[in-house]
Amino acid sequence: MPTLTIDGTEYEVAEGRMILQAIDDLGLLMSGVDIPHYCWHPKLSIDGSCRMCQVEVEGMPKLQIACNTLVTDGMVVRTDVERVKKAQRGVMELLLINHPLDCPICDQAGECTLQDYAFDYGMPGARTEEPRRPAKKAMDLGPTIVFDQERCILCRRCVRFCREIPKTGELGVFARGDHSLLELFPGTELDNPYSMNVADICPVGALTTKDFRFKIRVWFLDDVESICNQCSNGCNIYASRSNNRIYRYLPRRNDSVNDTWICDHGRLSYQLIMENRLTEPRVSRRGTSYADAVRAAGDAVRAARESGGSIVGVASPFVGNEDLFVLKQLLEAVGAPAATFAVPRGESDELLVKTEKAPNASGARALGFEESDASPGAVAVALVLGHTLAEECLKGVETLILLDTENCSLAERADIVLPARSFAEKEGSFTNHAKRVQRFRPILEPTFEALSEGEILQRIGAAAGLTGWTASYDVHEVSKRLSETVAGFDGINLDSLDDQGCELA
Amino acid sequence: MITQPYITNYLSEHYADDAYRELSGYEARGGFEGLRKAVQMEPADLVELVKSSGLRGRGGAGFSTGLKWSFMPSGNDRPKLFVCNADESEPGSFKDRLIMERGPHQMLEGILIGAWAVGASKTYIYIRGEYKVPTRRVEQAVKELYERGYLGQKILGKKGFDHDIVVHSGAGAYICGEETGLLESLEGKKGQPRKKPPFPAQYGAFGLPTTVNNVETFAHVPFIVARGLDWFLAIGTEKSPGTTLFGVSGQVERPGLFELPLGTPLGEIIDHAGGVRGGRALKGVIPGGMSMPILLPEDLDVRMAEEFLSERGTHLGTGGIMVMDETTCMVRVAAVTSYFFRDESCGQCTQCREGTGWIHKICERVEAGRGSPADLELLDDLPGLMEGQTICAFADAAAWPIQGLLRHFRADFEAHIAAQRCPFPESFEL
Repeated sequence: MPTLTIDGTEYEVAEGRMILQAIDDLGLLMSGVDIPHYCWHPKLSIDGSCRMCQVEVEGMPKLQIACNTLVTDGMVVRTDVERVKKAQRGVMELLLINHPLDCPICDQAGECTLQDYAFDYGMPGARTEEPRRPAKKAMDLGPTIVFDQERCILCRRCVRFCREIPKTGELGVFARGDHSLLELFPGTELDNPYSMNVADICPVGALTTKDFRFKIRVWFLDDVESICNQCSNGCNIYASRSNNRIYRYLPRRNDSVNDTWICDHGRLSYQLIMENRLTEPRVSRRGTSYADAVRAAGDAVRAARESGGSIVGVASPFVGNEDLFVLKQLLEAVGAPAATFAVPRGESDELLVKTEKAPNASGARALGFEESDASPGAVAVALVLGHTLAEECLKGVETLILLDTENCSLAERADIVLPARSFAEKEGSFTNHAKRVQRFRPILEPTFEALSEGEILQRIGAAAGLTGWTASYDVHEVSKRLSETVAGFDGINLDSLDDQGCELA
Repeated sequence: MITQPYITNYLSEHYADDAYRELSGYEARGGFEGLRKAVQMEPADLVELVKSSGLRGRGGAGFSTGLKWSFMPSGNDRPKLFVCNADESEPGSFKDRLIMERGPHQMLEGILIGAWAVGASKTYIYIRGEYKVPTRRVEQAVKELYERGYLGQKILGKKGFDHDIVVHSGAGAYICGEETGLLESLEGKKGQPRKKPPFPAQYGAFGLPTTVNNVETFAHVPFIVARGLDWFLAIGTEKSPGTTLFGVSGQVERPGLFELPLGTPLGEIIDHAGGVRGGRALKGVIPGGMSMPILLPEDLDVRMAEEFLSERGTHLGTGGIMVMDETTCMVRVAAVTSYFFRDESCGQCTQCREGTGWIHKICERVEAGRGSPADLELLDDLPGLMEGQTICAFADAAAWPIQGLLRHFRADFEAHIAAQRCPFPESFEL
């Protein structure tokens, strides 16, 4: 492996990589090794035009761009010399002569690379008195994106994104020199299913999403690591929250799952979390307390066991591995067969979107549940998670206990209804289509009484008087037991998983 | 009809003769002797010969032609291409046009010799769109070559010597003269220089190994092969052998092209052009196209070859000499020059895109009488932020003339700022 020395520190890097790539591979770019850059993006082709990443390479007379300079063994690079700092100051000054000074009203402020680098690498003052390049404000590029042409620094990340990732190529830079402008190709709209990623990769406030713009200043947000639950790809996301509300999802980099992208549908799915929520525990279609509903469910399970009535479980591909594991244990404890589950399916594409429109079908399979949308027939008690199974399949159920997040029609029909927490309100893990177990963390506090499916089932088990079952629930404990008992999960639990997840054995 | 009196040498010896642009006339005057000799040689020896001749590229950079050819990969696993750069667009340069109009077969013979040397199977001749007559002449000449078997399969009966030529008309951008900008444009894309590496010899036109040479460079090659090394090395200077077509424009009595050996003193070339117009005093001379730094009257003794010009802080470039007399406002020159580079910057690299625009605005402001001493400081500083920091040499080309003008004619700038107007009579329009 070649060694690369940057400012006196030696790094072992992979063969055949450019300087920036090599540093990014080590996870040190801008967090340990600071080589500022605009046009370079780890998942797009190299452009080499912003010239911000110039470094001094021993043996080369001119400064070199780190994004397009191949590392050779023993290469010595310096970023801390005056020549490099002068070049960085130069690029910053020149980028800013045509950039409006509208940070106070710009959505990007606070997470703007131009703003950040201006502080870190720029000059304190301006030497220009000329008016800025005339350009358009608030151009509508399509259903999702608004473009402020004045703010564009022409790094062309968005152009390369559209050409290389969704391969739709709607954007281009037109004209030449300082009259260059980013525009849509005539007759097109930026309406590909991944369009909103251009707002993430735009280093400035030129491209913003209609969904997020002007909603909140970003410094009021904190980002929680989570997983998109719209399909089995399990794209890694940050949920940006403030005041117990999610304002947006951003893709979180995971090179094994979604690189740095997310589809527009997934990105906007945070809006669905609070939609049509089931908020009220019910017994026999009448509102009651949570404790009463749990007790009634426990009683039903106990009665069925005592009378020899059959108990079945219907799992859900929407709940976490831990919730499913508690269901598995409960069913085993009452001598019931393994649960089945149904998966909603839809369109897929070659990039991220998968056919299975649920985050954890693979997890259900790994736990030994079988996919089936057949009716369980006439049974005494059915413990049903979610509403993926058609309502008429459950007609023969004597006591239907429903644990769900959504106020669906099944909730009208169920005998005992227990509001569950959405994935955004609990902790756990999903197993994606490629059997990668990935952690999600609580983003929101529930605004009404609700528990995770795992905890509800735990309490039902305790209320039913199952041997060794208590009402106390700790998802980390459950996860640990899961990893100890279920084949493939060896060593994979909430405490061992890092932010990139881990594939099942 | 050519009415200009030419200082003739080997390239332009027969340019006044209309028959020379036709294949039969060209052959009757020694044409294609070089190619006949070349195909008797091993390709590698031919590359070595051109290398030893010291022929330097005539497109502006002055790189060794033989060395450039030697960068082409050996082996035939991928087709190899030649590109002839006929996108002559450096202001002050008009030599390639004459070659294509009056001696197109020189260039074509040079291409074929080079094709044999490096094993290229196809040549694209990229001619600037405005060059309608040269394009027609070259197309006509290519047609003649096909008819007479100099192009196509088994050229001169040589097995394995197949070559095709495609004449491509550019669409009008200075930057398409930069070799990788040209390649992009040739591929039908926006003419923007490519980052290097990869270099064209590895990844050129359509991803194939490609060598790009200038029209005049190719035109010299047949003479070198036909007449031999000793003959060629006796012309010009030790490091820059051969002649070149010096283009003299500006305020001289008789502007035009003059074929003279490299190393001819600048003053002598201007004398060939009849000297400064109207007996006025000389103020400055740009020696090699607009992007090269300006020289002063005391530099007239400089020998016009790269090795001597670089000692004076400038370069031979394309050999396009622009003469300015004492009435010339050098701030106006800066304003016009910077306008050109602002307009022609492809806009990829930050420094070039933004720097050319800013410099132009400042120069215009100073010329219009609204400049301040701070503007001079900026003009001192900005070219340094651009030079040597971009994908291609365009930013250098935009920075150097401004640096040169400030170095030699600072007084002109200061006078504008002090008087808050241009103190010169209007010598040309902005």
